[in-house]
Amino acid sequence: MEETPPHCLSRLPDNSALKQQELPAHQLYFTATRVLSAFFTMGIFCLCMGIILIVSARSTQEIEINYTRTCANCAKLRETASNFDKECTCSIPFYLSEKMMGNVYMYYKLHGFHQNLYRYIQSRSNRQLMGKDVKAVEDCSPFKTSNSNTPIVPCGAIANSMFNDTIILSYNINSSAQIKVPMLKSGLTWWTDKYIKFQNPSFKNLADEFRGTTKPPNWPNPIYELDEKDPRNNGFLNEDFIVWMPGAAFPTFKKLYGRLNQTHHFKEGLPAGNYSFNITYNFPVTRFQGEKSVVLSTLTWCGGNSLFLGLAYTVTGAVTWLASFAMMAIHTMLKSKKRSFFHQ
Amino acid sequence: MAPPAMGQSFMSANVKKPLFHKRSNQQEVIGGEIGVGEELSYLLLVNFSPIHRAKCRIINEATRGYLLRSGERSGVTMFCSEKKSLEVERIVKANDHEYNEKFQYADNRIHTSKYSILTFLPINLFEQFQRVANAYFLCLLILQLIPEISSLTWFTTIVPLVLVITMTAVKDATDDFFRHKSDNQVNNRQSEVLIDSKLQNEKWMNVKVGDIIKLENNQFVAADLLLLSSSEPHGLCYVETAELDGETNLKVRQALSVTSELGADISRLARFDGIVVCEAPNNKLDKFMGLLSWKDSKHSLNNEKIILRGCILRNTSWCFGMVIFAGPDTKLMQNSGKTKFKRTSIDRLMNTLVLWIFGFLICLGIILAIGNSIWESQIGDQFRTFLFWNEGEKSSVFSGFLTFWSYIIILNTVVPISLYVSMEVIRLGHSYFINWDRKMYYSQKAIPAEARTTTLNEELGQIEYIFSDKTGTLTQNIMTFKRCSINGRIYGEVHDALGQKTEVTQEKKPVDFSVKSQVGREFQFFDHSLMESIELGDPKVHEFLRLLTLCHTVMSEENSAGELIYQVQSPDEGALVTAARNFGFIFKSRTPDTITIEELGTPVTYQLLAILDFNNTRKRMSVIVQNPEGQIKLYSKGADTILFEKLHPSNEDLLSLTSDHLSEFAGEGLRTLAIAYRDLDDKYFKEWHKMLEDANAATEERDERIAGLYEEIERDLMLLGATAVEDKLQEGVIETVTSLSLANIKIWVLTGDKQETAINIGYACNMLTDDMNDIFVIAGNTAVEVREELRKAKENLFGQNSNFSNGHVVGEKKQQLELDSVVEETVTGDYALIINGHSLAHALESDVKNDLLELACMCKTVVCCRVTPLQKAQVVELVKKYRNAVTLAIGDGANDVSMIKSAHIGVGISGQEGLQAVLASDYSFAQFRYLQRLLLVHGRWSYFRMCKFLCYFFYKNFAFTLVHFWFGFFCGFSAQTVYDQWFITLFNIVYTSLPVLAMGIFDQIALDTSYWTFINHVFIWGSIAIYFSILFAMHSNGIFGIFPNQFPFVGNARHSLTQKCIWLVILLTTVASVMPVVAFRFLKVDLYPTLSDQIRQRQKAQKKARPLSSRRPRTRRSSSRRSGYAFAHQEGYGELITSGKNMRAKNPPPTSGLEKTHYNSTSWIENLCKKTTDTVSSISQDKTVKL
Repeated sequence: MEETPPHCLSRLPDNSALKQQELPAHQLYFTATRVLSAFFTMGIFCLCMGIILIVSARSTQEIEINYTRTCANCAKLRETASNFDKECTCSIPFYLSEKMMGNVYMYYKLHGFHQNLYRYIQSRSNRQLMGKDVKAVEDCSPFKTSNSNTPIVPCGAIANSMFNDTIILSYNINSSAQIKVPMLKSGLTWWTDKYIKFQNPSFKNLADEFRGTTKPPNWPNPIYELDEKDPRNNGFLNEDFIVWMPGAAFPTFKKLYGRLNQTHHFKEGLPAGNYSFNITYNFPVTRFQGEKSVVLSTLTWCGGNSLFLGLAYTVTGAVTWLASFAMMAIHTMLKSKKRSFFHQ
Repeated sequence: MAPPAMGQSFMSANVKKPLFHKRSNQQEVIGGEIGVGEELSYLLLVNFSPIHRAKCRIINEATRGYLLRSGERSGVTMFCSEKKSLEVERIVKANDHEYNEKFQYADNRIHTSKYSILTFLPINLFEQFQRVANAYFLCLLILQLIPEISSLTWFTTIVPLVLVITMTAVKDATDDFFRHKSDNQVNNRQSEVLIDSKLQNEKWMNVKVGDIIKLENNQFVAADLLLLSSSEPHGLCYVETAELDGETNLKVRQALSVTSELGADISRLARFDGIVVCEAPNNKLDKFMGLLSWKDSKHSLNNEKIILRGCILRNTSWCFGMVIFAGPDTKLMQNSGKTKFKRTSIDRLMNTLVLWIFGFLICLGIILAIGNSIWESQIGDQFRTFLFWNEGEKSSVFSGFLTFWSYIIILNTVVPISLYVSMEVIRLGHSYFINWDRKMYYSQKAIPAEARTTTLNEELGQIEYIFSDKTGTLTQNIMTFKRCSINGRIYGEVHDALGQKTEVTQEKKPVDFSVKSQVGREFQFFDHSLMESIELGDPKVHEFLRLLTLCHTVMSEENSAGELIYQVQSPDEGALVTAARNFGFIFKSRTPDTITIEELGTPVTYQLLAILDFNNTRKRMSVIVQNPEGQIKLYSKGADTILFEKLHPSNEDLLSLTSDHLSEFAGEGLRTLAIAYRDLDDKYFKEWHKMLEDANAATEERDERIAGLYEEIERDLMLLGATAVEDKLQEGVIETVTSLSLANIKIWVLTGDKQETAINIGYACNMLTDDMNDIFVIAGNTAVEVREELRKAKENLFGQNSNFSNGHVVGEKKQQLELDSVVEETVTGDYALIINGHSLAHALESDVKNDLLELACMCKTVVCCRVTPLQKAQVVELVKKYRNAVTLAIGDGANDVSMIKSAHIGVGISGQEGLQAVLASDYSFAQFRYLQRLLLVHGRWSYFRMCKFLCYFFYKNFAFTLVHFWFGFFCGFSAQTVYDQWFITLFNIVYTSLPVLAMGIFDQIALDTSYWTFINHVFIWGSIAIYFSILFAMHSNGIFGIFPNQFPFVGNARHSLTQKCIWLVILLTTVASVMPVVAFRFLKVDLYPTLSDQIRQRQKAQKKARPLSSRRPRTRRSSSRRSGYAFAHQEGYGELITSGKNMRAKNPPPTSGLEKTHYNSTSWIENLCKKTTDTVSSISQDKTVKL
């Protein structure tokens, strides 16, 4: 065995900062001035933010009308599945005391509908919805194929349970004349949904493209007859369908139904006055003790009229600020105590 | 050589047909970890203690480093043990392949690699899935494949699992590749084999049992050989066994005289057809039994005739040997064995933690399952049509059952697989920091610190007990002749500069580096009076020095420059012989029968009649010499206690005087030897010598008879005096000991040395001080005595506390209770316990064990002296077991191996006596003082880092996973995840792994503040960047177009992140999570400041740090008379010298002349290094002492 020659320095470790653990580093010292000033500024920032959020949330207007009970007879009718072909409409008048300015959005809101169940969420076929292969139903169990083994389009539990009430908002210009508030059924979805995620097989003849498939069991019409008025709003590109398809995270959720077309009377939004919702009641909710409402709302930069974020900011800001005062008090008290101790 | 009885019995046992089972020719040596290296890097660990008998291993120091031991995946198995039962004995016939093939002996090919290309995948996977974590994740994967309960898609588990398994597999594969490479390298080494009466070059792997091979100087030995002949006279050859047992001195092997006659005669060698019958392959390196039958006569074979694989031939130009054991059967390979893996307490903590978390997970699962059952029966019922259409109904209980499993799958991320990987990575990083630390680099020997085990770093920060060896660890194992007492007079008390002058005038020869290197350079014994006495011709002084020059086993040789070099066997002897040399009594040379010395310029040759060798029971050695006048004298040196009993009664006065001197020396921590002589009558000696020869030839009770004869002649000695040799402390030992005890680490010294020497080293190291309230010395020879002494000590310790002297019965009951939990009582004052090996043996018996432990743990310092390696290990085990404390053992020699292995952490001092300690250790460095940095910096940091890392890791995973628990209440307990599957998959391995790792590796606890290096920044911001880039990539149109079902998130990111309130929520969350922590830490500094806070404040206030007060060693304790005898010497050298076997050949063969000098001089080169470095250190040390 060869001996290491004396003073052989080849084994000397490198004198690099990394290897000697002497890398320059930030060391977080919690000095009084730093911590207290950070707390003060953070507190003020959060308070301001909270106030701004609350103010802007309060500036939005929202009307929510629950029509489960109002349309109790319809609800009863829908509890029996065999009555699916019997039409049931229901009108809900309401008074808008203040006009709603700007863009008004109409939502339907479901209470207690679990769109977030694991099996429910999994039961869809993105390949089918892309329009590449309408017969791709492999992930859609148990709504893959009908009893006669024809693939269902659109397949899956989500599609099958699509919300299918029609809601028409009418404005009573005067006691006798009622006009329909023009609602746009476009721009309800993300661009990517409309142009990438959901695609019809082709634009020519939808009925042909979907030949050899069948409609979901709960649907009255096949996918290509969802919107009889606007042929382009059919197939997988139907806006209501696209809005329904992403699963909501919580059992109570609202989904966009339409937005106000700002024309004629409604250029500035919805004027105050008497309105009514004319609802074709199709979607059964009482079976699962659910409820449904229709919501009219305006939006601001930070969303709807939910005060939660604003309040959370305010509370955080207030607590931070108070904490900074308390910490300052404790710190100065102890400091003077220590000083007197040292001076003795 | 007459065939001894052993051989005959062997043959008679041979009548039975040996049992052989069919064995594959290619034995796989699993477990030997052999890597690439220039040299054959099988280093073998000799195990000394019986408890470790079976645990040997081979380690390659050159390449494999610490990575080698870093995982359990090596899955080392012992193969040799099962084989032993197969082969009862071995019969080998030289030059006869056909004959030997009958037995199907293994050939010389070795396989240390574990896998081949075909077997790699199955074996490696099998090994990996034996790890609990991997198996657990495999189970999860299987669960996920069941569609009924699969709540996460399979890739969430398989991606991390495959990643982890691949990483490990790649590492294993690389390791194995290197093993293959080294196997190939070794197997393809060339050696000259006698085939068809010709010497032919053959690869090692083709060497067969029974082959005769030729070895040349400096070649590695290919297999275990029976030495047949060599170039040296008497069939001698020299081998270096450093790779086998770490000893660097050369060993001598001698061929049978019948075979050594064969010489290099190829034709005769080719005709050699001896049959060797010997033991079956085994792992005993120092034993061999066999019988050679050749030409109708039988010759017994022992270890002296065998050259083992792994040795290097030295100083011998050629030799021939017959292969007895090949390949896996060689002793070297037989010693490969299992490595015991040590786990840290964090590991154990984490295991329990993980178990608790599993329990917690199951609880959550049960809660959610119950929730699911209730929900299903209450609400879910009504959703049946949405979910199941025309599928069969499910009962809510069954649904709950399935949900349980689904949630187990979802919630498994609390203990992700990446935890284990991250921990390994962090530890590896910490190990590298240790290797890279320049502050632990010993520049004088070019030895960096080495973390040989990567898995134990954080344990270093929790050490409570350090068990330290003394020699070579605390002390330098460098002896300096300091004082002597001749004929009742002390010399060497004056240490003045004048002494230097004396030496210069006195030394006739030019200052000889090589000579000095043997002694330790600072020869400062220059007491005028001794010189004067020599000049005056005081016969006693001359006799004293003559004795030092004659009575030893030192070998001398002249190097190329004509300087005299002493090759010493023990440093004590070196010190003595060199001291004598400096006083004009120069040991010049020796032959087996003579010793030539120069007495004050006159060369005198003494006839060496006998060497009565040293051994540990005799504690003395003697030589019998005849001077040119024909006078026969016995010169003896040894332990005072022993030698004083052998003195002639007329020595009484001198004895008491010398004994006073001896205890004075001992009090100064010097190692003493008593020196005596006896004039022998010619006739008496001849008679005795004849008896000795008879005894030597005896077959029965040979050793006893010889010992008796030695006793017989070593009596009526005339006392000459005593020598005192200083055992120098290592550099920085005092400071290290002080700071470690400031850190509340208890240091126990476990040494094989004598009690007094150990005590004095204790004083020197500041472990024992005169401030101590009491020092208990337990030195009883019987169990009762020891028990009583312990009891007394305890009573003393607890003072008035009468509980402990309540009589025997109560005491025993109490012990029983205490064994379960030893309660540390608060004892005021410093105490020390000194216990010797005999007492320790009794104290370690079960009923006194606890008393000992309790007492020892109360004491600030514990010194165990004269302990055997096994006892060292027992003491460590005792503390480990009953104290539940983390222990560290540090040592440098083979006797520390067992202790190093049993402690939680074993530290080896490298660059010392051989490699055994280092090989067994988990960490190694060159100096004891580095322990301070290892423990107080690396250990502390590692521990903090690991703790912080674990907290951080569990925090992030709990925060990440528990969301699913709460979401369960909203989603009808249906095991729907909140995050998408890819986020779950990548969260632990990509998004959050690096910041935690960076913190775990780079954080420093400099005054309890977090330590953010640029790497932390890079990792944190990098991880965020990676998160967003992956997010956008996964949410992109392109990937959706390709995999619509796997990546259905198209557009989510870009639409959500443009929402202002998302950012507001992120900001608020950050503020709300950080603020409380900051406030808490701020207030904690104010209200409950930690030590470091206080220090920082004081630093701020005073702008200067208080220097650490280091205590100087106190004045020596002058106590009752005690012996300072100590002698580092081994048995067996006397015999070697008298046999002449180790004498250099007078006419070295021309081929090897140069090499010989070269290789002989390796040791002096080594010593030269030592010398130069030590000069530097000693000078600095002397300075400090003087100042």
